[in-house]
Amino acid sequence: MQLRYRQQVAAAGVSVVALALVLGACSSSGSSSTAASGGSGSSAPAGGSSSSSASLTGTLNASGSTFQLTFQQEAISAFKSIQPNMTVNYGGGGSGKGRTDLAGGTVNFAGSDSPIPAKEASNFTGKTILYFPVIIGPITMAYNLTGVSNLKLDPVTIAKIFSGSIKAWNDPAIKADNPGVSLPSTPITLAVRSDSSGTTQNFTQFLVDSAGSAWTLGTSSTIKWPSSARAASGNPGVAQVVKSTPGALGYVDYATAKASGLSAASVKNKDGDYVAPSSASATAAAAGVTPKPDLTFAAVWQGGASAYPITYQSWDLVNAKQPNANDAAMLKAYLGYLLGDGQKLLAQIGLAPLSSSLDQQAVAQLSKITS
Amino acid sequence: MSAVAQADPAAPAGSAHPLSHRRPLGDRLFAILAAAAGVLVLVILALIAASTSQQASSWFSTEGWSVFSVDWNPGTNSFGAMSYVYGTVITAAIAIILAVPVSLAIALLLTEVVPRRWAQPIVYVIDLLAVVPSVVWGLWGILVFAPWLQHIYASIASGLTGIPVLDSLFGAPVSGASFFTAGIILAFMITPIVTSLSREVIATVPAIDKEGAYALGATRWEMITGAVWPHSQGGIVGAVMLGLGRAMGETIAVALVIGASPVITSHLFAAGYSMPAVIANQFGEASGEFRSALIGLGVLLFVITIAINLVARGVVERSSRRKRGA
Amino acid sequence: MTAATGQPAVDLREPAGWRRVKNQVATTAMWVAFAAVLVPLGFVLYTVISKGASAISWTFLTGGPIPPNVLPAGTGGMGPAVIGTLEITGLAAVMAVPLGILGAIYVNEYGGNRLLARVVRFMADVMTGVPSIVMGLFIFSIWVLHFGYSGLAGAFALGCLMLPVVIRSTEEMLKLVPNALREGSYALGATKARVTLTVVLPAAIAGTVSGSLLAIARAAGETAPLLFTILTVTSTNANVFSGANTALSAQIFANATQPYLGAQSRAWGAALTLIAIAFILLIVARFVTARFTRFSS
Repeated sequence: MQLRYRQQVAAAGVSVVALALVLGACSSSGSSSTAASGGSGSSAPAGGSSSSSASLTGTLNASGSTFQLTFQQEAISAFKSIQPNMTVNYGGGGSGKGRTDLAGGTVNFAGSDSPIPAKEASNFTGKTILYFPVIIGPITMAYNLTGVSNLKLDPVTIAKIFSGSIKAWNDPAIKADNPGVSLPSTPITLAVRSDSSGTTQNFTQFLVDSAGSAWTLGTSSTIKWPSSARAASGNPGVAQVVKSTPGALGYVDYATAKASGLSAASVKNKDGDYVAPSSASATAAAAGVTPKPDLTFAAVWQGGASAYPITYQSWDLVNAKQPNANDAAMLKAYLGYLLGDGQKLLAQIGLAPLSSSLDQQAVAQLSKITS
Repeated sequence: MSAVAQADPAAPAGSAHPLSHRRPLGDRLFAILAAAAGVLVLVILALIAASTSQQASSWFSTEGWSVFSVDWNPGTNSFGAMSYVYGTVITAAIAIILAVPVSLAIALLLTEVVPRRWAQPIVYVIDLLAVVPSVVWGLWGILVFAPWLQHIYASIASGLTGIPVLDSLFGAPVSGASFFTAGIILAFMITPIVTSLSREVIATVPAIDKEGAYALGATRWEMITGAVWPHSQGGIVGAVMLGLGRAMGETIAVALVIGASPVITSHLFAAGYSMPAVIANQFGEASGEFRSALIGLGVLLFVITIAINLVARGVVERSSRRKRGA
Repeated sequence: MTAATGQPAVDLREPAGWRRVKNQVATTAMWVAFAAVLVPLGFVLYTVISKGASAISWTFLTGGPIPPNVLPAGTGGMGPAVIGTLEITGLAAVMAVPLGILGAIYVNEYGGNRLLARVVRFMADVMTGVPSIVMGLFIFSIWVLHFGYSGLAGAFALGCLMLPVVIRSTEEMLKLVPNALREGSYALGATKARVTLTVVLPAAIAGTVSGSLLAIARAAGETAPLLFTILTVTSTNANVFSGANTALSAQIFANATQPYLGAQSRAWGAALTLIAIAFILLIVARFVTARFTRFSS
């Protein structure tokens, strides 16, 4: 019986020790929060602006535009062979989230499809933000309609569909764009973004520019869509809605639509031609664009015979002043890769590379990242 | 131990004994430990209420009574929860209407119809149904079930155009991912719990009443309606309410198949949204007042499900106490 | 008899007309209800097995990191998620099962009819009905906001879900142990703690173990509490106490909304793995009940 008692005391002691260990682990986990504000690890001498020969260690965290998501995921895997000790995490979440995270300091760079809007400018007072354009590509009108392969749409028709005035596929306006094609009476299910999105911003900017009075919902990264619209998060989410809903029509970036196997409609451009989204038609649209000194521009609704009218762009936003030399070096290495050899990856996913003059201006801007 | 006991066999345990002061201490510590574990439940419940309300307080104070408005727009910072409350109630109602008859039927099957030996396989099937994780129901629902259902809904809707009440319930717009699909999947998920609770309740019906009914020449169905039902009414109502609470709180399966469209509409085949679904879908990108609003929805959900649970437990307790007394 | 009394022939062995029809209809309806439940279950299992089996391989179960959604099936693996599920659910079980058994012991052995015990019993029942998402928000509010995302936070959330279930099922088992056993031990001079730990609990151990296994199976499949506590990542985190983690259920949820076939195939594979884990726990629980139960109602 005394033995039993001692065993009980021993058990109590062991549990107290275990509890202490757990509490100790908890307090140590408290100090290493997962909201990383920058890379950790030894700082290395910063190499050249593109692929650095010096080995860098640390982690870069980023979030934002899901337009860039496919490109970033491919680039991150390829970049691993150039800088094996560096980890880059790109979280997506929409352009709005990226800008919020950058303002809050929880990411090193943010992907955004539009410049910082006026109502968010107050989050960035006192900081200089650099815009690095990385990709240019089409927003497709992705649809799910069996038996219809080459759908054509006019901007005014698109505006009416997305405002909810055109409700079914066999509407006269759509028939007028597609003579000779038999359209079913299926109702149109709109697929839109639920999160704050640069794709939404650029798509609605296109509608404002091209459809005039037919589009009344304005332009912003969040829109009050008709109540019957199905909202999803990120470009892949919208693509999934279109893919799984017969009769759906949504706006999805080209890389995502292509990887999901969706059909995309040809859209009538400024010159009056119906152009299908592709790498070539996006390049044609971007050809005439002149960026401002801070490298921002808008590529939607550009003129040109073979230009795809809903072409848009995405930037990586960075603070000009970095907290330490290692962060600055890692950013220069990774962004330099995106602007250099990374551009070769774009052809595989169907996006257009930046024009050489734009690319050179962006590479030159890398030197403005200081610490 | 044996040495001590043999030393004084006449003394009862725990009484004045030279070494007895050591025993109560370990014993008392264990009793305290056990009590602490029990009180932990109360502490956790209280903490849940307190911490989530505190996080949600900014939403409640900013919106005031317009938390129940229909306008939910993160862009303009207005967060009215009505469409989500509506969706939660509607999907849970559909689930109950579909699941309760089926669950009761299976419970009766197990207790009255099927001989003991054959009951085991049926119980295994119900167990299997219970163990399928919610996220797997959702995955199957959105990738397989909803697209298949969309065609069925479309045919039903086109068949019903023009008929007054039915058209507004089952007419266009239709979507595979909709209130009704979420309701069906919820029905699958709450069937096991309502079935097992109903079984427990039906099992407490005194055999003497059942045998009496048979002795009077009743068929099985007449025995069920005459002897089983009056006794187990209260308990079954309680079981149904517990199923209702579970259906309202179910998150992931609903988030995937409800269609993510915050509308208040009578069309059951249209896409909708519910409180737990919107929290699951949008929490990752929410911050500031948006996040406070989502946590506030969680508080609303907590209050509703706790209220339903309290009432259900009370009903079950009251009816079982009545039976025991009688 | 009929001839002697002159009354009409009433056959007391068979119910007549409508009564028989109603009875038959009712019985058929019950079987139809069972079929109505069997069919979707079979459909789900068939789909998960057929679509998931093609994705499952040794690399799938142990390899990592989890590849970007765009990449096709066959690249990378779900190893990080499997490890995450096992470590987070394991930690939750280690926390919730002993506490739950202690709580049940309090309610059943020590509490008696005192007010505190009745309140605890009632509240434990009520707590089984708290939605899993509210548990996740709760742990987010009091832990994640101060200490960051971690497997430990996820384990807390799952543990809170498991605790009332373990208390309830253990209490049911303890109630079944005959009082004679307890009284015999007291008569031999044992203290209450000894009686409980060495006599009552072992007598109820089969039901307790199987109840806990079922609670663990349910926790392994939970997703909502993990969404707010572990921040689904793509590489293995062996340290369950610090740093973001991932789990099979969270990965399935993330992949279910992706349009890419590779991501969907990985989701089916993960679903099959998760169902397999839950089934194994269920079968072991049933086996333990069948083989080792000493006292049953």
